Amino acid sequence: MAEIGDKAREEFFSEAQEIIEQLSRSLLSLDAAEKGGRSDPSLVNEAFRAVHTLKGLAGLFGASRMGQLSHELEDVLDDLRLGRINLSANVLDLLFEAVDLFGHVLTAEREHSDEPIPQLDELLMRIASMGQSAPSVSHPIAEYDLDPGIMAVLTEYEEHRLRSNVEQGLGLFRLRVHFDLATIDKALEDIKQRGKAHGEIITYLPTGEATSPDTIELDLLMASSDDLATLRASLGAENIVIEEVPRRRISSATIPPPGLTGQGPVTSVVPPKPESVVPRARHSEIAPQEAQGSLRSVTQTVRVDIRKLDHLMNIVGELAIVRGALSRTAERLRGEGMRQLASELHRLHRTFDRRLSEMQAGILEVRMVPLGQVFDRLARVVRQISREVQKEIRLVITGAETEIDKLIVEELSDPLMHMIRNAIDHGIESSRQRESVGKPPAGTIALNAYQKGNHVMIEIEDDGAGIDEAALLEKAVRIGKVDREDVGDLTREEILALIFLPGVSTRDEASDFSGRGVGMDVVKTNIAKLGGVIDVHSERGIGTKMTITLPITLAIVSALVIRVASQVFAIPLSSVSEAIAFDERGIRVVDGREVMTLRGTTLPLCRLRQLFQLTGTRDGRGFVVVTEVGNRRLGLVVDHLVGQQDIVIKALGETLASVRGFAGATEMEDQKVGLVLDAAALIEEVLAGIDAPRELMRSNG
Amino acid sequence: MAELTRTNKPPQAIAQQVSEDRGVIREYLAFVLAGEVYAVALTRIREILSPPPITEVPRAGRDVIGVCSVRGLLVTVVDLRRRMRLEEAPISRRSRILLAIANSGEVVGLMVDEVKQVIRLAEAEIEIAQTVLGGDVSEHVMGIARPASGVVVLLNLGSIVSGGNRG
Repeated sequence: MAEIGDKAREEFFSEAQEIIEQLSRSLLSLDAAEKGGRSDPSLVNEAFRAVHTLKGLAGLFGASRMGQLSHELEDVLDDLRLGRINLSANVLDLLFEAVDLFGHVLTAEREHSDEPIPQLDELLMRIASMGQSAPSVSHPIAEYDLDPGIMAVLTEYEEHRLRSNVEQGLGLFRLRVHFDLATIDKALEDIKQRGKAHGEIITYLPTGEATSPDTIELDLLMASSDDLATLRASLGAENIVIEEVPRRRISSATIPPPGLTGQGPVTSVVPPKPESVVPRARHSEIAPQEAQGSLRSVTQTVRVDIRKLDHLMNIVGELAIVRGALSRTAERLRGEGMRQLASELHRLHRTFDRRLSEMQAGILEVRMVPLGQVFDRLARVVRQISREVQKEIRLVITGAETEIDKLIVEELSDPLMHMIRNAIDHGIESSRQRESVGKPPAGTIALNAYQKGNHVMIEIEDDGAGIDEAALLEKAVRIGKVDREDVGDLTREEILALIFLPGVSTRDEASDFSGRGVGMDVVKTNIAKLGGVIDVHSERGIGTKMTITLPITLAIVSALVIRVASQVFAIPLSSVSEAIAFDERGIRVVDGREVMTLRGTTLPLCRLRQLFQLTGTRDGRGFVVVTEVGNRRLGLVVDHLVGQQDIVIKALGETLASVRGFAGATEMEDQKVGLVLDAAALIEEVLAGIDAPRELMRSNG
Repeated sequence: MAELTRTNKPPQAIAQQVSEDRGVIREYLAFVLAGEVYAVALTRIREILSPPPITEVPRAGRDVIGVCSVRGLLVTVVDLRRRMRLEEAPISRRSRILLAIANSGEVVGLMVDEVKQVIRLAEAEIEIAQTVLGGDVSEHVMGIARPASGVVVLLNLGSIVSGGNRG
C-alpha cells in the first residue's frame, strides 16, 4: 500500500463503502426489475458506473485486490450493457457475491492484511470462465426503414439498446426537434425526462439542417410501446415533430420473443460499421442525465467522522453547564439589588439558551441516517439465504426513510440480520408445506420501521409457522432454565420470552444459517446495549413478529433529574411516562413484590434506595417515576424530583462496564457527576427477577 | 513535600536515559499509601489532581470510590489503598488523584495519600519482587528499589489499573 495519510485513507474506505452499498442497491433493483419482467438499462449503467468508480479509487490508493475485482466486474457489466451476455440468475448471483466480496476485500485492505482470500480467487476464476454468449446477429431491426446514416454511427451500446427494444416488440419513433443553441442543454434534458415515461431515447444526432445560425436540429431515435398519437399528445410541441419509423414489411413471424436470439432471418440490412466514424456532437455512452445526478450528490454532502460530532456534542454539553451558571449569576445579581444588570444578563441567557438548543438539535440531525442503509444490506441477505435454502421469500420494506442515530444503525445490522435469518430458516415453511395449509407458496417477511415519539420501532414480521410454544417450553425445562413445576404458571407471553434465554433454540439441530453466529439471547443483549428492548409475538401457523423499540439517539437526551438519599440520578425522559406522588398506604405486596394501582392497572414498584443500597436520610416526600419501555412498566420510588434537564450521556469506563443499571453518567450544573439510569435494564432486572427464570436476569448482566 | 512540576519536554525524553553500566534509567512518581512509599512509572501518569467532588456508583466494586469529571472527561476513581489490600483511611487534605492511562487507553484515577516526588532509578537498582520476596507477592508489585531516601515499592500500573473489581 502506498504511503497515504490516514485521513485520506479513511475517506477512501468510507467512500468505497458507500459506492459498494450503492452498487448493491442497483443490483437489488435490477433483480426486482428482472423478476417483474422489465429490463432497465439505466440500472445496469448505474452498476457499471459504481464499479468503474471503485476501480479508479482502488488504483489511486494502491488497493490491488479491489482493483482486480472491480476490473473484472466492470467487464462483466460492460458485456451486460452491450447485450453480449444476458442477465441470467447466475450472472446476478455472481454480481451479488462480488458485492459481499468487496466487503471482505475492503476489510483486508483496511487492516493491511495480505492473507489470501480464497473466495476472491474462486470468483475471479468463474468470471474468467464465464463464456460470452454470442449476441444476436440477426435483426428484427431490419424491418425498420432506418436511415443507414444513423445506423452507421450508433455505438455498440446504442445498437444493443436499439436491438433489445425492437426485440421486445416496441415501436420506433423519430423526433425531429429544433433547439435554441443557448438553451439546448436544458431543453434536451427536459425532453429526455419527459420521454422516459414513454420509453427509451436511444440516440440523438444533429441533422445539419438548422434553420438559423442560433438553432440546431436534432433527430432523436426513440423506442416506445405507446402509439404515435399518444406520443404526439404527450411530447409534441411547436418545435418537436414526431414520426413513426416505418416498417419495411409487415410480418408477425419475424419478431422473435425476447431472449430468443439468432432465430430471425440473417440479413445484411444493417450496414457494417464504417472504419471512419463520423465525428458527432453527441453524448458519451453513459447517459448524461444520470451522471449529473451522481455528481450533484458528491458536491452537496460532506462526510463527517462521528467522533468529530461527539466532540461537538461534548462542547455543547459543557456550554449547557455555562448556561446554568449564567442563570444563577443573574439570580445573584438580582438578589444583590443590581436589577438592571440582572435583567440584561437574563436576556443574554435566554438568547444563549435558544441558540444552544438549536445547536443541539442541529448536531443531532447531522448524526441521523435513514434506516434504509441497513435495510438494503438485509435485502441482499434475504435474497442470498432464500436462494441457498430454496425458499421463495418476498421482502416488503416500509419506513426505510425513518431516521436514527448513525451509531445505532451500525450496531443494529447484526441483530437484524440474525432475526431475518431466523425468520427465513425457522419461521417460513417450505413452499410445499405452505401450499398444503392454504398459504401462498412464497413466504413474506415484512420489515417495518416508524417513529413513535422519541423512539424508533422496527418490526420484523414473517407469515411462517410461528413459534412452537410447547417445544420451546420443553427445551427450556430440559436445559434447566425452567422448573417443571412452574410450567403451568407461565403465561403465553412469558413462554415466548423464553426464546431469549441462552441455549434455547426453536430447533434442535442448528442449521447452516442460524447455527452460526449468535442466538436470540445475544440479539437481545445487543439491542439492550443500545437502550432498546425487543418483544416477540407469535401465532402458531400464522407467523411471528419481533418488535424492537429503540431510542432515536444516544448522544443527547432530555432527562428527569431525581434524588434518592443524597445522590442525584438522571432518567431519560424517553422512558418516563409520568411521575406521581408516592403514597405508602397505597402499596400492596403481591407475590413478594410491591405494587400499586395506577388508574386501574397494577404497577410494579422498585425502591431505588433499596436496589442501590443507598444510605442517608430521606430527602423529600417521595415520588413514583413511572418508566415505560416497550410495553413494560415499572414505578421507581425516589425521594425528590429535581427537574428536567438536557444531558449528554457519557459512557462509564471499562472499569465499571460490568455494573448493571446505568446507561452512563452526565455532568450536572454544579460540576458534579450524576449517574444516568438505564430504564430498560432496570425494568428487565426487576421484572425478570421474579417473573421469569433468574437466568434471564443474569444473561443480561 | 516536593512539588511535582510538569515540563514541556516530551515525557520520553526525560523519563528514559541510558547509563552505560547500570542499564536504562527511568523516572518514577513516588507517593505514600498507609505510611509506605510506593512508585509507578511516570510515563503512565497523565496528571495529578486534588480530589474533585466524586459521585459514588452503587453496585460498583469495593475498590471503586466513584466517578468524577475532569474537564469534561469522565474518570473512574479507584482507591489504591483498597486495591492494594491496605487498611482504609478517609480522604485527607493531602490526598491526590493520579490520572493513569490503562492499557486499554482508558484514563483511571488512583487515589493516594500523598504525592512525594519524581525519582530516577536505573534498572540495576530495582530488585524484581518475586526473586526477593518469593512468588507470593501481590500481582501489582513489580519490584523494590532502595534509593538514598529509603525503600520504595514499585507498582505495576498496568495490572493495577486493569485489575477490575476483584473483592
